[in-house]
Amino acid sequence: MPRAPMLWLVRSAMVAFYPRTAALPGLVDTGIDAYLRQFRSETTALMWLGVVLASLLYHLTPLFTVFVPLPAFLLPASLRDRHTARIGDSNLYLVKQAMLVLKLPAALCWAKDPEVRRRFAMAPYPPDPGTWRTS
Amino acid sequence: MSGAHVAYRDRGEPTFEGEADYVVVGSGAGGAALASWLARAGASLFVVEAGAWRDPEDYPSSAYGSMRDLMDDWGAQLAMGRAFWPIVQARTVGGTTVINSAICVRTPADVFDRWEKEFGIGRTGGKGRLADRVWRHQDELERELSVEEVPPDARGRSNVLAMKGATALGYDSHYMRRYVKGCAGSGQCLQGCKMLRKQSANVVWMPEILERGGTVLSCAPVRRVLFDGRRAIGVEGRFEHPSSHRLGASFRVRAKKAVVVAASVTHTAVLLAKSGVKSKALGRFFRAHPGTGVFGVYDEYVDQNTGATQGWASTAFRDEPGLKLETLHIPLDLVASRFSGGGTVLMERLARYRHLAMWCHSVRAESVGTVRPGLFGKPVVRYGLDEADMRKFREGMYLVAKTHVAAGAKRVLPGISGLPFELGADEIERIREGPLDPRAYIAILSHLFGGAVMGTSPDRSVTDGSGRVLGYEGLVVADASVIPSVLGVNPQHTIMALARCFAEDLLEG
Repeated sequence: MPRAPMLWLVRSAMVAFYPRTAALPGLVDTGIDAYLRQFRSETTALMWLGVVLASLLYHLTPLFTVFVPLPAFLLPASLRDRHTARIGDSNLYLVKQAMLVLKLPAALCWAKDPEVRRRFAMAPYPPDPGTWRTS
Repeated sequence: MSGAHVAYRDRGEPTFEGEADYVVVGSGAGGAALASWLARAGASLFVVEAGAWRDPEDYPSSAYGSMRDLMDDWGAQLAMGRAFWPIVQARTVGGTTVINSAICVRTPADVFDRWEKEFGIGRTGGKGRLADRVWRHQDELERELSVEEVPPDARGRSNVLAMKGATALGYDSHYMRRYVKGCAGSGQCLQGCKMLRKQSANVVWMPEILERGGTVLSCAPVRRVLFDGRRAIGVEGRFEHPSSHRLGASFRVRAKKAVVVAASVTHTAVLLAKSGVKSKALGRFFRAHPGTGVFGVYDEYVDQNTGATQGWASTAFRDEPGLKLETLHIPLDLVASRFSGGGTVLMERLARYRHLAMWCHSVRAESVGTVRPGLFGKPVVRYGLDEADMRKFREGMYLVAKTHVAAGAKRVLPGISGLPFELGADEIERIREGPLDPRAYIAILSHLFGGAVMGTSPDRSVTDGSGRVLGYEGLVVADASVIPSVLGVNPQHTIMALARCFAEDLLEG
């Protein structure tokens, strides 16, 4: 579990979007903590800023989705799930775009997990070498 | 004679200096096609590429790795209008040829008719009609790059279903012809073909350029073109580390004969503007083929991740309403964020991934935008679709949905705000009532044109019909920036053949 508050907020918002279900592993099962540290160090500052702002938007809007004046991280699980579904389905353009920015890196982590891929009959991804020709 | 590859050099190392007949900025479809032609003619040259050189063994496997290692700006570059639509371009040696589906379509005759009528580009010097020259090069390119139709065992279920749907509806369609030699159907076009089947520029032409004595600078974004009066004499910039993006040593490369800019539609016009090139048309007439996908939900497994990423297409609607239809199999990694919703609802939607096929359209849009330098010199694209193009866009989605239903899909997922997440086979007419607001749709711009368009009028064009920048000497543009109209077909074949024509013109002085 990350200690930095911003990282914790981002993580909790992402995990809420991809919860564990009977059919599929959730984001929480896929090494999200190491992934988030890697993502923060490798992505652009602008992208990371977008993810943080989108997480804040996610946590601060339950009043408008489930009509409860609490941040999302304080909601009971079932209510948080309803908030997540509603904000994820929002027709307000900027909200929709913000949630896309939040979901994209979360989805990249979730879907490359070997167990998730196995459930969809896909072989695990080989590692991304991150190498290039140097001479 | 063998040339050299110069990769990232750290700060503190001396400025890299070089000189050759030609300096080519960018190593994608345009830059590499032109540079290989010059190299074959014995010219000395530098190819200067902003991205790193990644061979197939360096290619990433996951979509995360692809965005990090191969995409320009993590794929997060946006066209800004009423809606923000992503622009998909690579930043690597080989450019977008590394990550695209290598689709080969000859330039339609009506494109040249339009260029001649509207832009005065038809004949180039004493070398005959541009159309004939482009088609001749396209013949050669098809042989050179082993163009072939997607073989039956690499088609995958989704491409076969699309053919079934089109056949049932009675419209013309085909399995694609691509620059792919013996496709293995690994479904990894977007991450670069590790199987070495795709004939991308980094695999085919850049090694040839080295063998013929050319020099390739990678990790080397050009900051500006250097001039002596109105004559381009070279380029300069600083190396950039491919993973940390830390700036390294400076480089300066001089051109004895010409500087060729082929840095992509978003970067070429911006580089010219930052270098002080004066032209009323610079950065204007940006155009694109915007597109989006519609998922079909089938009873059987489709497993769209297997088979050619793009293997089927139809140009039956190119003239009316102005669309191209094609398959595009996007990985689970991207489907998982593209679907609306969240929480258990989203997970239930994703659980059906094996039953989904995504097919898409791209619109032959007439809307026009701009590309200009923004904050920190990054390209800013302003572009949106007018109502007529939005009608085509919406109709394209309906046609894709109709094809899914004809192929046996029980439901379709249109991804339109304001409509239900799923529509039954008997409900797809509702797509035609969808909003004309671009913000209601999830789209991308994959084929870009303009920003430094060809023509005869300095008010409306930046280059002449040979890519030479008007009012300057020794400065040529050789990528899709010069293309003054949309094509209505995949542009790579046109870009490469045009670049070869420009190379011929350069060699003839």
